[in-house]
Amino acid sequence: MTPAKKLLSYSYYPGCSLHASAKEYDESTRGLFKALGIGLKEVPDWLCCGATPAHNVDELLSLSLCAKNLSLAEGVEGDLAVACAACFSRLKVTQHHLADNETKRKQVEYAIAGAVNLQKPVKHLLEILAKDFGLDRLTEAVQKPLSGLKVACYYGCLLTRPPEVPELDCVEAPTIMERVIGAVGAETVRWSHRMECCGANFTLSRPGVVLKLSGSILDSAKAAGADCLMVACPLCHGNLDIRQKEIEEATGERFGMPVFYMTQLLALAVGVAPGKLGFDSMIVNPLPLLKEKGLV
Amino acid sequence: MSRIGVFVCHCGENIARTVDVEKVAAEAARLPGVAYATDYKYMCSDPGQNLLKNAVAEHRLDGIVVAACSPRMHEKTFRNAAKSAGLNPFLCEMANIREHCSWVHEDRDEATAKASDIVAMMVARVKKDKRLVPITVPVTKRALVIGGGIAGIQAALDIADAGHQVVLVEREPSIGGHMAQLSETFPTLDCSQCIMTPKMVDAANHPNITLHTYSEIESVDGYIGNFQITVRKKARSVIEEKCTGCGVCSAKCPQKKIPNAFDKNLGTRPAIYVPFPQAVPNTPVIDRANCTWFKTGKCGVCQKVCGPGAIDYEQEDRLIVEPVGAIVVATGFELYSITEKPKGSPIKGYGEFGHGTIPDVIDGLTFERLASASGPTGGKILRPSDGREPKQVVFVQCVGSRAREKGISYCSKICCMYTAKHTMLYKHKVHDGQAYVFFMDARTPGKSYDEFWRRAIEEEEAVYIRGMVSRLYQKGDKIVVMGSDVHVGVQVEIEADLVVLATAVQPRAGADTLAQKLGISYDSYHFYSEAHAKLKPVECATAGIYLAGACQGPKDIPDTVSQASAAAAKVMTLFAKDELEREPIVAKVNEKNCVACLYCKKVCPYGAVEEKEIRDRQGNLIRVVAYVNPGVCGGCGTCQASCPSKSVELDGYTDEQIMAMIEAL
Ligand SMILES: Cc1cc2nc3c(=O)[nH]c(=O)nc-3n(C[C@H](O)[C@H](O)[C@H](O)COP(=O)(O)OP(=O)(O)OC[C@H]3O[C@@H](n4cnc5c(N)ncnc54)[C@H](O)[C@@H]3O)c2cc1C
Ligand code: SF4
Ligand code: SF4
Repeated sequence: MTPAKKLLSYSYYPGCSLHASAKEYDESTRGLFKALGIGLKEVPDWLCCGATPAHNVDELLSLSLCAKNLSLAEGVEGDLAVACAACFSRLKVTQHHLADNETKRKQVEYAIAGAVNLQKPVKHLLEILAKDFGLDRLTEAVQKPLSGLKVACYYGCLLTRPPEVPELDCVEAPTIMERVIGAVGAETVRWSHRMECCGANFTLSRPGVVLKLSGSILDSAKAAGADCLMVACPLCHGNLDIRQKEIEEATGERFGMPVFYMTQLLALAVGVAPGKLGFDSMIVNPLPLLKEKGLV
Repeated sequence: MSRIGVFVCHCGENIARTVDVEKVAAEAARLPGVAYATDYKYMCSDPGQNLLKNAVAEHRLDGIVVAACSPRMHEKTFRNAAKSAGLNPFLCEMANIREHCSWVHEDRDEATAKASDIVAMMVARVKKDKRLVPITVPVTKRALVIGGGIAGIQAALDIADAGHQVVLVEREPSIGGHMAQLSETFPTLDCSQCIMTPKMVDAANHPNITLHTYSEIESVDGYIGNFQITVRKKARSVIEEKCTGCGVCSAKCPQKKIPNAFDKNLGTRPAIYVPFPQAVPNTPVIDRANCTWFKTGKCGVCQKVCGPGAIDYEQEDRLIVEPVGAIVVATGFELYSITEKPKGSPIKGYGEFGHGTIPDVIDGLTFERLASASGPTGGKILRPSDGREPKQVVFVQCVGSRAREKGISYCSKICCMYTAKHTMLYKHKVHDGQAYVFFMDARTPGKSYDEFWRRAIEEEEAVYIRGMVSRLYQKGDKIVVMGSDVHVGVQVEIEADLVVLATAVQPRAGADTLAQKLGISYDSYHFYSEAHAKLKPVECATAGIYLAGACQGPKDIPDTVSQASAAAAKVMTLFAKDELEREPIVAKVNEKNCVACLYCKKVCPYGAVEEKEIRDRQGNLIRVVAYVNPGVCGGCGTCQASCPSKSVELDGYTDEQIMAMIEAL
């Protein structure tokens, strides 16, 4: 008799972007988890984590926002699933930082009028899929293998950093994205700019910087022969997808490189209907590529 | 009634700053049995010692307590003074009121009270001290040197030249260590082979040196003057006495494609090989893991072609016991690698540099092999990937060193200098090439060192960029080096043909295991620890064991050779005497009480406890008791603490003395 497969269920912190500019990340996450039979329950009344701006302005504010979210999550069963790389990093940093700084922890507890939940395991979707669910089971669930699709996995700055904190994978040379998307049949390319910064929140204040940094990311993915990029962060997505045209104008180079959220590709592979994956809200239209590969 | 003298030392201000020394002396004077008590600024100085000697005569003292620093520092000094005043030296004890009191407390009143307590305890103990006579043990005037790099060779030659026998044990098939791999050496650029190989030959031919290569230390027993070393001579599969070193076997061996570790895997070697042409001894060894005969039972070519019949496939490891009196440890270093490290390891690799997967990103030793006239390229600087001559070479310093976040905080000391050397060697060979160096600081203290570094910049036109490198990646056939120039405040990108990393100097893997066999201590990185950072830099805390070379910390050749000669001098000092005096602080068994449970035998870390048979006049066995061999006993007292019948006691630390000390509190 084979032991019954463990039913997985998580509390879920989508973060602001997933309710706004990154709706397709949220939709595809829910679709994917449903298809895989993994429970996902949104934390009620969650607030913004402060992302990258808050901790540059006021550390206490940034820690308190995350601490508040962690204490709200306490009411929902299951480890806390996070999709956005920035939210993930901030929540982890908060736990890490407050665990060995009693003075700050007291200040934060005063600010949020309650205890900080340092114990709740905070997990990125990648970790849930690769470790809790398992790559073998992911492969078993595939209905439409992504074979022939050449994907450049883009980690950005925050998924594995700062060192010692997220402990998702090797800080400078991770492979978790490649392993996860490889499990559903996609081909991954070896390329140089997986870990470079895209310019993140300079997108409004110093767009020139973003054009240069994101430009070299697109450039190197193209040089490596990728059909598309795969990301796990709405900020990266914004710079690489929304600004791609602008980058093309500035550099005079044409990329036409669709930028997918990881969950969009995974959900497609496990049989979620393409219409439910928000492909139409992407700026660089992915449909020609997906059609060419016979995926839609 | 005893007549004890108490001498309270100020240690300049070290003690007097926090302890009221006059008060301690006054209180000591009131203790029963104390005939005289005083204080003095520096008890260890000449006038201080004279004060003690005169007081012995004047006040007819029969015991002494010097309240000063740790006995590890000056017990010997004061016992010698007591001896010259005609007292048995073991009737002189130290009360440690510095390390145990003044240095660790702030409150003057409390520290003073504690100092008085410590003095009172030692007075109680000294009253029950017995006159002890030092034990003498013979010295085996033969030395063991572990490791045949430049450190081990130098130490062995010095000791052997002084007329003593030396056993030199080297793990690899040849002696030579890293120096045999180097091309030319800073600060004079003389060829390493030219200065190293003659020394290797001298060591092998010296009538006083027994060389065991391809050998390791199996176990170590005994103590200073009387060690028993078991050496494991690994099976070479070649009979050393018969082999003439003609090399026919290597030439005919069909297995030709095994990466040669000596050449940092740039070249290949056969299964039966000497690591490099100038190897000493010039006797090949069969690498059994890669030999067809050992893998499939077929081949046997080398045996067929070997004229003198030196090949022996049946050879087994041999254990050889070598009695020696002193040990020099000279096991050297290895280079840190940027490859991925096991999860949880305190030392991290460099994913940002590709974890060692970019073929034209090499380390300093690989560059030495490329630049070496006897190396795999005959001294041409060629890229490992495609054999082309690189025109832009980037050198990166401090890789793994001075990087707390990567797990190593120390400076590797030699890489600033060898990187400067590498830029010069490169320029000498590739005239139209350009060398760049990313560096944090240039650390060039040493005779003619800074001049050497300046020469690299001013005459050989190396471009030094102050800043760190954040990433290396392959782009086409170039390696993109992304770094910062902190002087100009800009980010720099260089497209290089070859990148050379000056990686950290680390102790050999397994250095800790050897240390445990030897009973010597090591630091958190596994570098061996000297007994005192300033005053005993070549001695281990374990008597009779000395350190030489990079196993104690990163070192260049001049430092290594100096330390090796210093270690040799220490060995010769030891061998200058026929007998060694040992402290008589050893355990004695009360044979009347001993019930021969032999619990002490189980717990003794020195293996000093034996069984002794007690027989009557007719020779009939009456009883068995425990017996402690005073030559082996280390005086740790473990047996005393564990004996259920209280039948074994340490001289100078009897139960009665310890109880008296507690009662004095
Ligand atoms: C790239 C590079 C360039 C350098 N260039 C210079 C230079 O130009 N000038 C300069 O002054 N210095 C230079 N150095 C430094 C020099 O190499 C060292 O100072 C020197 O090699 C230290 O000698 P050693 O005998 O202590 O150690 P090693 O050379 O490491 O020798 C140790 C020996 O012990 C053996 N051994 C290890 N463990 C055991 C064991 N358990 N049992 C038996 N044997 C064992 C090893 O096999 C080896 O033969 C350079 C170093 C590097 C890495
Ligand atoms: S027996 Fe082994 S070492 Fe000898 S020639 Fe054959 S492969 Fe080489
Ligand atoms: S010697 Fe120079 S390169 Fe080496 S670790 Fe020290 S500072 Fe860095």
